[in-house]
Amino acid sequence: MNTSTFKQLSRQLATPLAVAISSLLVGLPTMVMADPLGVACTNGTSPNPSFNLTTQTGDIQLPDGNTMYMWGYSVQGQSFQHPGPVLCVNQGDTVTITLTNNLPEKVSIMFPGQTDILANGVPAQPEFTASRATSLTTTAPAQANNIPGVVQYSFVANLPGTYIYESGTNPQKQVRMGLFGTLIVRPTGTGGGSDHLYNRADSRFTTSDNSAGAGNWDEEFLALLSEIDPYQHWAVEVNPAANFNFNNYKPRYWLINGRGFPDSIADNAAAFLPNQPYGALARVHPYGAPAHPYPGAIRYLNVGSEDYPFHPHGNNGSVVGRDGRSLETATGDDVSFEKFIVPVGPGQTWDVLFSWHDAEHYSPDNPVDINIPQIANQFFGQFYNFSPYLGVQGQQPPNWSTLNTCGEYYIISHNHALYQITSWGVNMTGPITYMRVDPPLPNSCAQ
Amino acid sequence: MSNNKLSNHGRRRFLKLAGSGLAITGGVGLLPGQLRRQLLPISDAAATPSDPADLFFVGTDGWISLPASPGIPTFHPDTYAPTNFTTYIFGFRNMTGIPPMDPADPTKMNPLVIGQKNKAQHSAPLFWVDEFTGANTFRLDLLNVGLAQRPDLTDSHSVHWHGFRNVIPFFDGEPTGSFAVPVGRVFRYIFKPRDPGTYMFHCHVEDTEHVHMGMTGLVFVRPRQNGNTALYPSGKFAYNDGDGSTGFDREFAMFLSEVWAESHWADAHIQLPEWSDYKVDFTLLNGRVYPDTLEPNSPYNAATSTHAYDTQRQADGDLVVPTGRPDLQYQPLSALATCNAGERVLLRFANLGFKEASMTLAGIKMKVVGKDATPMRGVIAGGTARTGVDTSYETNTLSFGAGESFDAIFTAPPHSGGSGPDVYILYNRAYDRSDNQSGGAGGQRTEIRVYPPGTISPQTIPNENPTVA
Repeated sequence: MNTSTFKQLSRQLATPLAVAISSLLVGLPTMVMADPLGVACTNGTSPNPSFNLTTQTGDIQLPDGNTMYMWGYSVQGQSFQHPGPVLCVNQGDTVTITLTNNLPEKVSIMFPGQTDILANGVPAQPEFTASRATSLTTTAPAQANNIPGVVQYSFVANLPGTYIYESGTNPQKQVRMGLFGTLIVRPTGTGGGSDHLYNRADSRFTTSDNSAGAGNWDEEFLALLSEIDPYQHWAVEVNPAANFNFNNYKPRYWLINGRGFPDSIADNAAAFLPNQPYGALARVHPYGAPAHPYPGAIRYLNVGSEDYPFHPHGNNGSVVGRDGRSLETATGDDVSFEKFIVPVGPGQTWDVLFSWHDAEHYSPDNPVDINIPQIANQFFGQFYNFSPYLGVQGQQPPNWSTLNTCGEYYIISHNHALYQITSWGVNMTGPITYMRVDPPLPNSCAQ
Repeated sequence: MSNNKLSNHGRRRFLKLAGSGLAITGGVGLLPGQLRRQLLPISDAAATPSDPADLFFVGTDGWISLPASPGIPTFHPDTYAPTNFTTYIFGFRNMTGIPPMDPADPTKMNPLVIGQKNKAQHSAPLFWVDEFTGANTFRLDLLNVGLAQRPDLTDSHSVHWHGFRNVIPFFDGEPTGSFAVPVGRVFRYIFKPRDPGTYMFHCHVEDTEHVHMGMTGLVFVRPRQNGNTALYPSGKFAYNDGDGSTGFDREFAMFLSEVWAESHWADAHIQLPEWSDYKVDFTLLNGRVYPDTLEPNSPYNAATSTHAYDTQRQADGDLVVPTGRPDLQYQPLSALATCNAGERVLLRFANLGFKEASMTLAGIKMKVVGKDATPMRGVIAGGTARTGVDTSYETNTLSFGAGESFDAIFTAPPHSGGSGPDVYILYNRAYDRSDNQSGGAGGQRTEIRVYPPGTISPQTIPNENPTVA
């Protein structure tokens, strides 16, 4: 609305990025957090990965200063986290997931996109009471007398791609309370590999192994989009068995990877977000052979009830897969398409390759053909490098503390249903993140 | 218009604005010399002479007219609204051809330009750019003249070209990663678009508010293939298709936006809306609701309409008043589409509302040839160009959400032989978005009027409906 709001935002931004820059890491035993950015997998051991998940309760922090009571899936032995762990397996793996339920009602896990799922060794089935469905799949019993309920699911992950896992029991309550997570199946067939989205050569994305120069990193990112109605969560916090009237359901918060901006751009496992381990900052190098010949990858998921038209600025992502299916004809012809809005519907996943090309190669030697306005004639932001040029930091005004470290670019990505980038009254929050474009290597950026 | 031309103006304003509009405090005189050079506007003598921009936009506030009845208690029509109008907006105006500085005193802003404060239009001026082929850089100047209804706000403005590939932050208009244009300042955006198709643009300052308040419009990029009459007789194409499959005879921008009356009222009345309460009270097509969508375009200025639908201005720089419809003065763009039987017509849809739309063209099939400024083609293995499998398709309904665009071509069916045109309705099949609250027809709804072959002369600029002979 006005300048003071903007300054307030600036102050909010200072903390997370400062933490991001210092790369404070909290090592979690089974979660791969070596990289503070990008997909942070919880890995099993191929070809028979086994995951022990528990249901837990906890609180998350929201951009307006509120905290929110949540339910969630966590790795057994670890504390509550939101969203659930990113489970990464290989195509063809026999995946076993044991769910230990600490909640006072029965819960379950659905694996949309997987087939022939077994629960406790027999085909998983919807459950009924008096002919009415009470769960979309086999449940773990409620905790009773401090004894948790347990169910064990298994399936063969036949198809590479990005999938949601989520509760199938009273889902309008349990999923919205936070019982959801991401399952990534990496392709192992002809043309595939761990740095591919699908079994196609043209689905390869950048990793530290296939790009040249010290300081390269994996460019595989997650955009898990969700929403929160605080009244529902308060009702469940007061009384877990409460009958919240879903006719009154109205989201007031929208999140990316379980965080709202500016928390969304803090590192994975940022210490000040102890229950929200997943960041969403997409740090990349300019695309171009030979050093950097592959694009980055973003895996979009919508676990909410609304449509989320996500808009990465400056980037027509190439949609190469949806719902764990490669966009190709029966004969393998590419039928991918480009989008500047990725309209992820409820329950959908979209796999997108993206890159940023330095199209004009502007530099002090190839300047933009305008007179650059002096800073007194600019209303500038916290990430601005005070220059049109990648890798160049211009003169900043006194009494100004920039979050730009080495002349890198920050290009925003956000939900374009713009009422969704607010947090119950606080604007410019919610599902917003940035693509950080580093200058070509070698550069002076902290790695 | 040079940015530095505003230096003197900027110097005066700077002293007023320092510490309020910008996070700069302290006296300039205390600064080290190097910083002082950065902070103080440089003199005109030091400024490089600059060529005029291809487009000159002004950002400000204003008022438009939406159906007053039935009213929405408290919020609509707005009691502050001037005669003929109902709804407070933020918006752009096209002032191309008017010098920003006063010709009589180049140290001052041109009163014709400053005078457009509180005279914004919606939707924003439609403009188009040729694909960049090496020399045709496109230059758009944006001047922020401030808000008349809210002098307490010092909101900056920007132009964000939504969907522009590989943008650099400097020209992206997103103020956190770069900067925006403060009140009283001008900035030149440089665009070298390499990808034909339909896009949109909007101010990205306080994004939720400024977009919803109306600083939104449609822009498209013409392909370099244009002019190739061997592929299609008109020489007009949506994309570099190589085969004429996206050739067309007429084109119409169909820009979708929405109005939540409470939020517009709140901005006029120094209130803040709670955005999670968002709902759609009015849906607009080219800034109007049916049946206003059928009213003619305000006349355009041919000399300055090479890159934009540049509505004619009065002597004081204000928009011309449409004959008989003074309430549509600041909604100059029609959504009516007239054509001759047998012609190919391109509809360029873009949606900067916050909700999904479902546009149905009853009685005529549309062929989707592009979406989000990308032709409907796959990629040939080993390549990057979209010249592979044809993924275009026919439909009668296009469903798309916030920020998406579609290019759809239809062939006008034969005329039925009666008198007057055959009429086909284009409407939002989500009926609550095509009813103006009152039941009956309204909102995002317009007509395609098909005349016998040869009735209407060729279209000179997009959205033009030449007079029927």
